[in-house]
Amino acid sequence: MNNEIAEKIKGMLVENLRIPEDELEYDSELFGDDIGLDSIDSIEIIAGIDELFGVDMTGADRENFQTILTLTSFVEAHKEG
Amino acid sequence: MSGKTRCVVTGLGLVCAVGSNVSECVDAIYSGKTGIKEVRAFDTEQCYTHKGAESDLTNEQLGSENYDRSSLLCIKAAEEAVDDSGLVLSEEDKSRIGVILGSCVGGAISIDKYYSDIKKNGSGDKQDIPKMTASAMAANVCTHFGLCGITANIVNACAAGTLSLSYACDLIRSGRADVFLAGGSDGFSSLAYAGFHGLHALAQDSCSPFNHSNGISLGEGSGVLIIESYEHAVKRGAKIYCEILGSGVSSDAYHITAPRPDGEGQMSAINKAVRNSGLDFSDIDYINAHGTGTAKNDEAEFLSLKTLFGNDPGLSVSSTKSMTGHCLGAAGSIEAVLTVKAIEQSCVPPTIGYSDEDIRFLSEKSGGIDFVANKAKSKNIDYAMSNSFAFGGNNASIIFSKKEHPTEDRTSTEPIYITGIGTVDTQKTDDKGFVAELKSADFKERNVKTAFFRKLDRFSQLQLLSGIDALSDSGIEVTADNENDIGMIIGTADGPLTEIVNFQKNVIEKGTQSGSAFLFPNTVYNAAGGYLSIFTGIKGYNVTVANGAQAGLQSVCYACDAIHNGDAKIMLAAGTDENTDVENELYGEPGYVLGEGSVSMILESKDSALHRNSKIYAEIAGFATARTAVKYGTLDGSEQALGKAVAEVLGCTGLNAGDIDCVYGFKNGKKSVDDIEDRLLPELLPGIRVIEATTETGDARAASAAMQLSRAAKAIADGKINNALVLSYATGGMYTAVLVKRV
Repeated sequence: MNNEIAEKIKGMLVENLRIPEDELEYDSELFGDDIGLDSIDSIEIIAGIDELFGVDMTGADRENFQTILTLTSFVEAHKEG
Repeated sequence: MSGKTRCVVTGLGLVCAVGSNVSECVDAIYSGKTGIKEVRAFDTEQCYTHKGAESDLTNEQLGSENYDRSSLLCIKAAEEAVDDSGLVLSEEDKSRIGVILGSCVGGAISIDKYYSDIKKNGSGDKQDIPKMTASAMAANVCTHFGLCGITANIVNACAAGTLSLSYACDLIRSGRADVFLAGGSDGFSSLAYAGFHGLHALAQDSCSPFNHSNGISLGEGSGVLIIESYEHAVKRGAKIYCEILGSGVSSDAYHITAPRPDGEGQMSAINKAVRNSGLDFSDIDYINAHGTGTAKNDEAEFLSLKTLFGNDPGLSVSSTKSMTGHCLGAAGSIEAVLTVKAIEQSCVPPTIGYSDEDIRFLSEKSGGIDFVANKAKSKNIDYAMSNSFAFGGNNASIIFSKKEHPTEDRTSTEPIYITGIGTVDTQKTDDKGFVAELKSADFKERNVKTAFFRKLDRFSQLQLLSGIDALSDSGIEVTADNENDIGMIIGTADGPLTEIVNFQKNVIEKGTQSGSAFLFPNTVYNAAGGYLSIFTGIKGYNVTVANGAQAGLQSVCYACDAIHNGDAKIMLAAGTDENTDVENELYGEPGYVLGEGSVSMILESKDSALHRNSKIYAEIAGFATARTAVKYGTLDGSEQALGKAVAEVLGCTGLNAGDIDCVYGFKNGKKSVDDIEDRLLPELLPGIRVIEATTETGDARAASAAMQLSRAAKAIADGKINNALVLSYATGGMYTAVLVKRV
């Protein structure tokens, strides 16, 4: 896993979605009961990933949004260059 | 015939995308002409839609005053309404004429301009700062006409325009005024456009309510109604359009943007409106629906109407938003004007944009209910309803009647007690004045999960904490048995300004297509009340008032009136304002210390308090509001109103100046404000002890005002004093006085 990408995604989630940093691990279930992201938040994640990496997650499968790890894998797989 | 004061409509004013006055708008609506065109106000090139419904009038054409467009639109409509009503203001007692306005975005256009100027030129125009808050609107209209009655800006997003009419009627019924200029106004803002764009809630093409329902078309405009007591209207020989029989207000307690899919909250508001009007569902001839054109709204509203009205063939329904666009806080007021005209002209306006196939499908789906599509329909209308539903889960429904109809007088004059207090404490910092330290632990110890509180902006977080604590202090558990009988009034000067500014800066930086779906729901002033209702399950009356610092006391006055009007048994009244870098940058000046906070108080009737065996802090013995209309942003020349508010509150409680133990004052560290208190109080209440808030809280505006009342109530409960007079002010010359005493 690319730590640099994961750290950037974590920073974006803390900043844009106000997830308390100390409660957010790379494998935390983002859409689980504790952090509780919803459909509006996924719009925000799509915008954030696009802005950070130029990767479009529109229409991507739900599994890709589950954790920072899955988001990182998606970005790694689709990032140009 | 009951003893209930009758409220009648005697004047109408309207400006929106389909016309610049009532007659133009009505002609367009009855011809099915749309005002939805290509957006002109800002760049939408990168957006997935380019449609909007803007007024043709420029700011210069609307008015000569240097106000935000929302205020200018409103003054234009108000001029027409006053003219139409035949009111000769110079012959009227102006202290009995007030202004109640609804708005969603307030001064968003001025916020856009200020920060766009900073981006372009490195600095913004300081004159734009006082235009930013929704607090300015009613004051501006009041000053324009030189009125001295009660003002309020009802800021419950898309329900605001209907709630303002409802509140105006309640105030007339409470005897607090004879006449109101009531309605709503919102200018066409990149804030709202970018926000709905971010939520993917804008229709690609023109909106299509109850049809394809693929989003809203944003609009702008203002509707103003002259509402007055029947007696006042008859005495001056006014033309009477119709009577406002009653209204219903509720809260979904479900989701911050989406309505409850089962329509429970909407049906609760509609039910209350019908009941309060002394009618049956079968009496309603026409409903101007909320009908925004989003799938979620249209499905829930369709279900609500079908459930309550069955297949009533006598009911016609339409959404005029198909032509005016969704004018947010003005929507309810614009639709009220069109509903009143529908009654007058015996003609139901259509929902436009249906193909023949759409019409066939609609009539199959709607059963007997007559959804009027494409063409206006002649029909006698005795009773008409207008619905407005909003972000935050706020629902409002109001009923207009062609004829006099007896309604039950539900008003009472029972004593009202303060039975709970919740306060967010603040500490002085070196750089920003007084701020609260909001930690995850504060929420978790109140059982608020991360998943919930992380969504809230600072303003909403402050309100949530004080609200939970006040309910807990009062020993109130919200259950299925009492959830509809508990309501709330949130008072604020500046609302969620930080979230609004951050959202807007992002739009300025990245473009209208980049509105944050996460931040946008919090940019409406009523989000804080919405979150509090969602968390606690409170489903009753729910209003947020933006009206300067005194909003923290006005919320208490409003809550008392709501209890006396039978709208709720228990009310939470709050004053909340935040203090961040944004407020410091905009409002900071040498020697002036800003603060923040939130104070919520539980108010209930004596009967309710005794029944629950509540702890009692103090009784609200009386309250009064007075205004000398001066320019918004100033107080100079308004001294007389402070004296009037004090005299009135003493008068209504039967006390003399010498009977008052102490005053909780409104000094905030600004010379113009402090001077008025220093000069007048020794005259009004010689030798009185005055307790100030600023040294302990900074100027936390509405939170300071509510804090002062809570401190007075606690001092009474602790046996330190027997009574206290609590005073507050709003820039533009409004003063509120609340007298509390030992029970």
